[in-house]
Amino acid sequence: MKIDKKILNEIQDIVGKENATDNEVILESYTYNWCVEFINVMEGKDPIPFWHKPIAVVLPSTTEEVQKFVKLCNKYHLKFKAQSTGLGPWNQPSEDDVIVVDLRRMNKIVKIDPKNMYCVVEPYVTGAQLQAELLKYGLNCHMPGAGPQVSPLASSTSMCGPGFTSSSTGFSGRNVLGTEWVLPTGEILRLGSLSLKENSDWFHGDGPGPSLRGIMRGFIGTKSGLGIFTRVAIKLFPFPCNIKQLEIKNIIPNYDFDIPNYMQFHLISCKNYETLELAFDRIEKEGITFMCFHTSTYGLHTIFSNTQEELMNRAVASPRIKNPLVVLITANTKREFEYKEKVLKTAIEELKVKDVVATGKYIPPNIAYAEALRSALGMHGFLATGAFQSTHGSMDTSRLCRVLMERNLPLKKEYIDKGLIGNDEGKGNWSTSYEHGHFYHIETPTMYDQTKVESVEGFVEYLDRCNKLDLVEHLGIPFFIEGDKMHDWYGPQCSNYHIWLRKIKTKFDPNFVADSGFYISPEKEENKTT
Amino acid sequence: MPFEDYEDTIKKCLRCSLCKWIPQIQIKSQKYASICPSIDYYNYHTYSGGGKIILALSIYLNRLEPSEDLADIVYKCSTCGGCAISCKYLNKLEPLEIIYELRELLVEKGIGPMPKQKLYAEYAMEKHNPYNEPPEQRMDWVSEDIKISKNAKIAYFVGCTSSYRRKEIAKATAKILNKAGVEFQLLGSDEWCCGSPLLRTGMKKEALELMNHNLDLIESLGIEEVVFSCAGCYSTFKAHYPRYRKYNFKVTHTSELFNRLIDEGKLKLKENLKIKVTYHDPCHLGRDSEPYPEWNGKMVEVMPLISIPVPPKPLRRGTNGTYEPPRNVLKKIPGIDFVEMERIKEYSYCCGAGGGVKAQYPDFALFAAKNRIDEAESTGAESLISACPFCATNLKDAIDDSGSKLKFYDLSELLLKSLEDKEE
Repeated sequence: MKIDKKILNEIQDIVGKENATDNEVILESYTYNWCVEFINVMEGKDPIPFWHKPIAVVLPSTTEEVQKFVKLCNKYHLKFKAQSTGLGPWNQPSEDDVIVVDLRRMNKIVKIDPKNMYCVVEPYVTGAQLQAELLKYGLNCHMPGAGPQVSPLASSTSMCGPGFTSSSTGFSGRNVLGTEWVLPTGEILRLGSLSLKENSDWFHGDGPGPSLRGIMRGFIGTKSGLGIFTRVAIKLFPFPCNIKQLEIKNIIPNYDFDIPNYMQFHLISCKNYETLELAFDRIEKEGITFMCFHTSTYGLHTIFSNTQEELMNRAVASPRIKNPLVVLITANTKREFEYKEKVLKTAIEELKVKDVVATGKYIPPNIAYAEALRSALGMHGFLATGAFQSTHGSMDTSRLCRVLMERNLPLKKEYIDKGLIGNDEGKGNWSTSYEHGHFYHIETPTMYDQTKVESVEGFVEYLDRCNKLDLVEHLGIPFFIEGDKMHDWYGPQCSNYHIWLRKIKTKFDPNFVADSGFYISPEKEENKTT
Repeated sequence: MPFEDYEDTIKKCLRCSLCKWIPQIQIKSQKYASICPSIDYYNYHTYSGGGKIILALSIYLNRLEPSEDLADIVYKCSTCGGCAISCKYLNKLEPLEIIYELRELLVEKGIGPMPKQKLYAEYAMEKHNPYNEPPEQRMDWVSEDIKISKNAKIAYFVGCTSSYRRKEIAKATAKILNKAGVEFQLLGSDEWCCGSPLLRTGMKKEALELMNHNLDLIESLGIEEVVFSCAGCYSTFKAHYPRYRKYNFKVTHTSELFNRLIDEGKLKLKENLKIKVTYHDPCHLGRDSEPYPEWNGKMVEVMPLISIPVPPKPLRRGTNGTYEPPRNVLKKIPGIDFVEMERIKEYSYCCGAGGGVKAQYPDFALFAAKNRIDEAESTGAESLISACPFCATNLKDAIDDSGSKLKFYDLSELLLKSLEDKEE
């Protein structure tokens, strides 16, 4: 279907002629995304990275424009799909005849409140942009593992958002304060202290009254399935060391970085998963880490490499580190640093584990410190095969993380042995502490080759079995339980949550204008309850 | 179909948007974080480097046909190559090469280039300059006080823009060479357009015709070194010509030569100037002057699903661009207070003039240049220095249009001021 020109003109009247289009070439570029190839396989189609073509793309610049546009969608019963920085299949229309709302022009840092340690951002402010401005105040923001080029607003309101600094900065969904939300009806809902009648402000994210934050995002977010978030306040943290800018030396690819005073990576080798669990808990209870995460030996080589060749060299030449726990200690003063280092050393001695950095056997490159500060380690995951995606995705205890790793190992090996997914010896897990061991996160990044049909199909089969494993073995709710098919499978086995989710969708989106391919569709007419 | 050479990589764009920004760890402010003038101006993802890769893949998979709409998007890009630098920080995609391939395809299909680009290409072929100026007037900038040495082993390849539009750069360059005692010859009306504007708009066949003339001429004269004050001509000779035809003479940009002459004591600098300056890296002098690396290896599967090039395949990442010589010259001029902008060297922000944009989309070119002027002003500099006549035109237009108080000088003009006896 093509969009009715009269409707397009009405949209252009709202956002400006150049900011809404049905140009076929532009629409084509909005059909593509990372991981779409396996979504296609899940739908029984060819593993290509192109999905449904939108009928128009709209670039609003203000909340008012978003609101008017959404009301227009209700008037003409047109579906929309909003995206911020746009990485991942969740940003794509999940069916034909949808209008993509590209929020690129909403790119303001509305407010930085250093005293109360929060900021307010629009959808297209990136993590790196925000952090660069926050650094001027000695502050930092949490960034998701996807990297500093993605939108903190999208991660906070509509995704999950664990990241490499989660041990000290939580996760995106945890840091949401006041939120401005254009509902699928076109009404504007302001959450938390932003809704106060007098002296409204952004400093608090919930109440009074029942929490709407759970409806807004829950565990994994609604991916625009419940409207469009236009501004959000985010909790901030002190920057972990005394610098005002990242000063990078040399020319690409030989970037170098003077490691700031009082900053040190530790790579702790744990003989088995049981020791890893103990180390996680023991170290995190001290509250001393800026980063504290587990990755496989192979994952470790990956985050410290910038090319495939470098990765292969590290894999061959570096010492073998068993079940690594990566700890990054940062401090603002010598005394603080010495204290943290001493505490860590004591814990390491108690645990009878080895820090391979202290032994001089493995030296992380200087630039990894800069990338750690900018939360730019995640994109290294694409080095090996060009694509990876995580399965599982629990937020629970360190014990559950360990159990999941153990249970997943033989399953992953089965697909590695078939040559369908990348060989990380089955140990390609990524686990982090949240807020110094308050709780933990586990996912299993899995490398595949998006250009090879058998690899994509193999990954999909493995993903499906991971999802089933989570259910059968009680390993938590995985990331990819999204959309009707998955919810209708998982819901009956988990308190029938899908029924309640549908009720919420039905109430909030009575005309079903928000694309729900990665959320849930409304109740069918015959099942509708009041 | 084109794209065969890039088949593996065009299927691996992650749509991560790294191509829209300078390398993430280099970002120092929200305002100057972008690397791509095209996405900055036109906003739709389509206009980014990654967007163009998607379009190329769509064509490759027969989802999309070359069309006028496609051309209008593909040509709204200054081919600055910033996207490729940021992408290749971790990946191996070649968005700039894909853009060139798309343009060649559009030309092959009779859709490209765009009308004004087509016109200047016709002028370049007929009059040997894209400005439709008489070839016999190519040396009109040469004043009586400039000494030309007819049989010198060094030739100064002036370029069309300095010959006809930015004569002050040609004059300053020649005078500096005279002061240093460097004997040089000019190619006069036999100097033809280097082909850069054609090469970058997809007209490779015509560009190679111009290349062959210039190389035949230079080689027939026994010239050992060719000096360029134009960054575009320089990168075309240094990086692009060798892909199609090897030659044996040395190519040097004036910034490199000036730096050398200062170090050799052949230029006596005086403290004539007391100004704070900043420097704009022309894309063609910086990242685009890096030669295309040769590689004749093969891909070897080292693990299931992981193939690596053996021997290692060097990537053209802007590492070997010409960055330090112009900076060194500035730092050596007495009285100059040199400050850097945020976006520099391999991740410099384009002035917006290149790739046929200035001719076909002047509003877009001006937008990009104003963005750069704003960044230059943010340093507190009084003057903006660069080393490319085409950047000079566009940046000066932006200064005039925005009412900026910045003064613009080509590196040669500034250097000449410091060599003269009078104070500014």
